[in-house]
Amino acid sequence: MMKNLTQEELELLQTEEIENKDEIAKLLAPPAIKIKNVTVSFKSKKGLYTALKDISLDIKKGEIISLIGHSGCGKSTLMNTISGMVSPTSGEVIANEQLVKGPGPDRGIVFQNYSLLPWLTVFQNIYEAVDSSFKNISKEDKKAIVEKNLKMVNLWEHQHKLPGHLSGGMKQRVAIARAFAINPKILLLDEPFGALDALTKSAMHIELLKLWNLDNRDKTIVMVTHDIEEAIFLSDRVVVLNNGPASTIKEIVDIPLERPRNKKEIVHHPKYKEIHDRLLSLLIDKFSISDY
Amino acid sequence: MKNTFVKNTIGQIISFAASMLLLCLIWQGITLLTKSEIPGPIATWQVAKEMFAEPFYDYGPNDKGIGLQLTASLWRVFLGFGIGSLIAIPLGILMGSSKFMMRLFDPIVQILRPVSPLAWFPLGLLAFKAAAGATIFIITITSLWPTLINTSFGVAHIPQDHKNVSKAFGFSKLKYLTKILIPYTLPHMITGLRLSIGIAWMVIVAGEMLSGGSGIGFFVWDSWNGLSLEKILVAILIIGSVGLLLDKFFNTLKMAFAWENK
Ligand SMILES: Nc1ncnc2c1ncn2[C@@H]1O[C@H](COP(=O)(O)OP(=O)(O)O)[C@@H](O)[C@H]1O
Ligand SMILES: [Mg+2]
Repeated sequence: MMKNLTQEELELLQTEEIENKDEIAKLLAPPAIKIKNVTVSFKSKKGLYTALKDISLDIKKGEIISLIGHSGCGKSTLMNTISGMVSPTSGEVIANEQLVKGPGPDRGIVFQNYSLLPWLTVFQNIYEAVDSSFKNISKEDKKAIVEKNLKMVNLWEHQHKLPGHLSGGMKQRVAIARAFAINPKILLLDEPFGALDALTKSAMHIELLKLWNLDNRDKTIVMVTHDIEEAIFLSDRVVVLNNGPASTIKEIVDIPLERPRNKKEIVHHPKYKEIHDRLLSLLIDKFSISDY
Repeated sequence: MKNTFVKNTIGQIISFAASMLLLCLIWQGITLLTKSEIPGPIATWQVAKEMFAEPFYDYGPNDKGIGLQLTASLWRVFLGFGIGSLIAIPLGILMGSSKFMMRLFDPIVQILRPVSPLAWFPLGLLAFKAAAGATIFIITITSLWPTLINTSFGVAHIPQDHKNVSKAFGFSKLKYLTKILIPYTLPHMITGLRLSIGIAWMVIVAGEMLSGGSGIGFFVWDSWNGLSLEKILVAILIIGSVGLLLDKFFNTLKMAFAWENK
């Protein structure tokens, strides 16, 4: 795992206070996700539509990254190149040190539209994913995994219901539980909290961070969102995309707020307002009617 | 809630009775118009009572009770329909799953589908060297099309979302078949089966008229030769009612598997 250190990294090691071996390992580990010059074009009736153009991005192991941008700018498409659901027209994506050629159980996905199978119960929806991902464990163990993850999203009492009988927020929680259940190294969440009310959303943020903490902050999370506050609260970095066609990365905004973060206190942090304003101005260029 | 349910059921029974009464009135009208050349409901009812008094008598090959004739027909229909479905469902899945297979088989389906059962009969005789085989053959080949077409339509329209789940979580081929393809396609498939059994039941009468020997179709033909119009009319009512029951059965089946309404 350890690679030869560059001069820069050696200096970093010396200057920064490194508390334990874990952190050194994380610092030196190869990126969990390496997006290299990715361009994605879709064939449509009107010709070729280039959604993403020459995107490069390295995401560290254990990092939480938010993708933010206007609707249709290619956020889902970029996620899909990582998940392997879409293959880039040119360029490549490397996840967990392997070239992405298709989906795999090392990357868990929460789709934008939940994508639950409507004829399977909440329990079965998760069970089938677990059953496909873990080949060598017993049925009882698989059921235990489903149970644990359903309890985590507070849906255990609803395990026998069909998705058609759930609210949007509940469906989303099932989809999240399903992605967590396969215990992937990388979690890809496409607007995972979009359909939730403010209270549930807040609770889910905490749940997500709790899970991430419990796991030694080892899981890498890439998330699409429209919500600036959510992006700041959860992420280490926020990647802002340009509008399409041929979107590129507009800017990457660092969120240097120390963890664990507190929802109530974070907004009073001197840097919070600065980051918030920066993101807002990147996304919106008209702030009042006098701007027209 | 319960009251409206009871009211609805009573309403249905009343309107069904009214509908039957209307049928009898029209029938009686025709009888009057044809100066009783076509027997009326009452005369037919008398004959029907005799027929149903001993439905399973067997006095040799040309004289059997209506119950035996009906069983013979139903058996043939289920055999022909069953074989047809066993061909139609896998082939439909194949056609729906791949554009290539669709392009390959669709023209064949389009050409063979409109062919009348009567045109197939000689081929059946030739192939099976027996009228019984030929009857089942024509039921098979004329009834499989709706199941085939509906199954392939269902499979071809499985939403991308569902396919994405299978892809993202690495479902095996078998899991895709049993947890996505079949559940999604089942309502379409059953609609096809419902149309198919309807065709099979229509074709059996023509088939048995040609093949003779036994069955409700043979019974109609035999009654015509015996100049018993009442018996023909009873047979028509039986054919209609059985057809209705088969249709209702598949409709109920469809409701039971329609996950959309759950
Ligand atoms: N499979 C596809 N075929 C054709 N065009 C697509 C496909 N997927 C996405 N697009 C187009 O690519 C652009 C980006 O889509 P998407 O990534 O879904 O945007 P976002 O998630 O940011 O709203 C859109 O203009 C969309 O119409
Ligand atoms: Mg999207």
